[in-house]
Amino acid sequence: MIFSSISFLFYFLPILLIIYYVLPKKCRNVVLLIASLLFYFYGEPKYILLMLFTIFQTYIFGILIDKYKNKSKIFLAISICISIGALVYFKYIDFIIENVNLLLKNKLSFVNIALPIGISFYTFQLLSYLIDVYNGKCKVQKNIFKLALYISLFPQLIAGPIVRYTDVEAQIEKREHSVEKFAIGVRRFVIGLGKKVLIANICGEFNNAFFASSEKSVLFFWMYGISVMLQIYFDFSGYSDMAIGLGKMFGFDFMENFNYPYVAKSVTEFWRRWHISLSSWFKDYVYIPLGGNRVSKIKWIRNILIVWILTGLWHGAEWNFLIWGLYFGIILLLEKLVFGKILEKIPPIFSRIYTLLIVMISFIIFNSENFVQIKENLLGLISYKNIPIISLESIYYIKSYLVVLVIGIIGATPLMKNIVTSKKIEKIVQIIEPIFLISLLFICTSYIVDGSFNPFLYFRF
Amino acid sequence: MKKNNSIIITVMFSAILILIFLLNIAIEDNKISESERRKLAQFPEISIQSLLDRKAIDGFEDYSVDQFAFRDFFRNVKSFWSTNIFFQKDDNKFFIKDNALYKMEYPLKEENVKINAEKIKNIYDKYLQENDVYYAIIPDKNYYLENDDHLKIDYSKLKNIMQENLNDFTYIDIWDELTLEDYYRTDLHWKQENLVKVVNVFEKEMGITQTLNSYYEKKSLGEYYGTYYTQTSNNVNPDEMYVLTNEIIENCTTYNYEKKENGEVYNSKETLDKYDTFLSGATALIEINNPYRKDDKELIIFRDSFGSSIAPLFIENYKKITLVDLRYMSSELLEEFIEFDNQDVIFLYSTLILNQNILK
Repeated sequence: MIFSSISFLFYFLPILLIIYYVLPKKCRNVVLLIASLLFYFYGEPKYILLMLFTIFQTYIFGILIDKYKNKSKIFLAISICISIGALVYFKYIDFIIENVNLLLKNKLSFVNIALPIGISFYTFQLLSYLIDVYNGKCKVQKNIFKLALYISLFPQLIAGPIVRYTDVEAQIEKREHSVEKFAIGVRRFVIGLGKKVLIANICGEFNNAFFASSEKSVLFFWMYGISVMLQIYFDFSGYSDMAIGLGKMFGFDFMENFNYPYVAKSVTEFWRRWHISLSSWFKDYVYIPLGGNRVSKIKWIRNILIVWILTGLWHGAEWNFLIWGLYFGIILLLEKLVFGKILEKIPPIFSRIYTLLIVMISFIIFNSENFVQIKENLLGLISYKNIPIISLESIYYIKSYLVVLVIGIIGATPLMKNIVTSKKIEKIVQIIEPIFLISLLFICTSYIVDGSFNPFLYFRF
Repeated sequence: MKKNNSIIITVMFSAILILIFLLNIAIEDNKISESERRKLAQFPEISIQSLLDRKAIDGFEDYSVDQFAFRDFFRNVKSFWSTNIFFQKDDNKFFIKDNALYKMEYPLKEENVKINAEKIKNIYDKYLQENDVYYAIIPDKNYYLENDDHLKIDYSKLKNIMQENLNDFTYIDIWDELTLEDYYRTDLHWKQENLVKVVNVFEKEMGITQTLNSYYEKKSLGEYYGTYYTQTSNNVNPDEMYVLTNEIIENCTTYNYEKKENGEVYNSKETLDKYDTFLSGATALIEINNPYRKDDKELIIFRDSFGSSIAPLFIENYKKITLVDLRYMSSELLEEFIEFDNQDVIFLYSTLILNQNILK
């Protein structure tokens, strides 16, 4: 089930809201747990058993790590092996076989197994729990239902943010529900829905038109680069907004996951603003345990490259994701070792253009299916093989999608946020806001009912 | 956020979600959509097996969208928004120009055109070397749109590919005979009542002279909401559908090989798509028999849906017309049903079909 679907918006959510708020407070965690498991079952019926096993093994190993301190390292290692093993098997096994086959005479058969939805997100969540228990950063959860709720909590289950147990531990026990919090949740959810349905999906249509085109021009390649940046940003951040908003409706406060990454003045800053829950997870659970920057220069470079290759592979079991991660690793190293200081000194306009260019190239790699496509889509930006500067087709699509692209560009900056939070127009905003939110919900619904293009980008995560 | 505002937002959001949920439950499910002219998804059968193999879940996803309360209204909102607020030049490839609906057919898929031309050539090589064989291409109505910047396929290239592959055939050019007024405004097809001039071109090229002054009665079938009208929520005024008829056409019979049943040239039964009036709609193999014709002159038309409306206008010249739709039957099966002798043969396909790879 995806948030931008009729089944979620007008069946699952209203039923859950009624039950959640009608039943006594003590039943709320049970209601949310059952709803979360049903939500997962609806998306992946077959893998509900895997989810239950995952919860069970995390629960058991959490207790073992806590109880047998002298053997806790062994228990942690076993549980990590089980969790990572499941992730590798379901997500990477065919990728590994495909590449091993390149070296073998007798080819291995592919497993062809479907990827359990959200496995990368919930595996990282449970790993953070087990490692934090091992390090004594949090108390072990002795109630399996509460731990199950943390791992399976539906708002962040399939597309993040990657919520740390330490962040929601207290909230599972006791959390605040109020009209104000619910309304903030509605605002985040509806705006997230709008980002996904009205910007990301329409940019996705533009990108599909680009791929189907037989008359590409340099202008078209550049517009595609911009459009793919907007699609990925509005899709990911839209989902995060919806997750944070839903969390608030049920009393939870999840961490922010995006903070206007396209206004960053360096790639280093970009990654402080982009998918914050993922980059901070890798920092805390991979980079620092490897020694971080408190090691020799060579090891430090190794640490950074390991983290970024893993970040790339986390997004999907394909070479383009690995290259994407490695590309960012190298750029970040260059910024730290060579031109980071220069970026701080030059006018912000130039450092922002530099960052946007680097990020655009990265998302062209990210959105490609093979090396040939990566090469074509990157070289197309510079009129490779006499590609025309402009074509009738590119003009048509640019005219047709211009308004959405411009709204997307403006929406990717804090401009609108600064305007609506301005004290001068506070009263007008208060009057308009409910009308705006309901209208936005209404228009998003009309796009969903029409069966417009509505992809789920996280199926590879 | 001020408390009053929070209350308004919370109440409105919850009320809308719950109200629409209740409406979806309360409103009786429709079997068909009149406006979209298609069957709507029904509530799926629920069983452990259907849940585990996702059939029930996927079925419910379709059901929830198809049976959504005020579905047509929401589709209109979407169409209005994309066209008038986002200024998108087409809505799922559909657009309106001068109170007529069009679907952007783009780009030209040269590979598909080549494949289709080769398939036609193979049929010729296998069955038709002794026959008089003609081919014509029917342009989609976008070809006639002027002063418009929507994308069109490269029609010259399409014609060239066909010509290169079918040089043993006689090409009949009907492009200059047609105009935009010869197509329905709400549909992709041409209007039968305007096709006598096209038939005249065929007859001239094929050496037939009898029907140049044929008399037809133009009979109205009332309002017609074409396929484009149903596939988009961009509304324009409906067309009026006419059929051309006369004593010969009214006394001709048809035999549908697929359904194994006899019928009339113009189907008078209620159908979801009024264009199915012509030879009862899409079918793999159908023949029209003319009881007035004493000779054995026969015509075979390899055709798509455009052929259904023009074929009755040829019948005066033939004892039998056999219509073959290669979208629904393989050319390998032709020998089982047709004895190729000395028939006239026309391959008559629209650019819309030639640009797809759907001929078997």
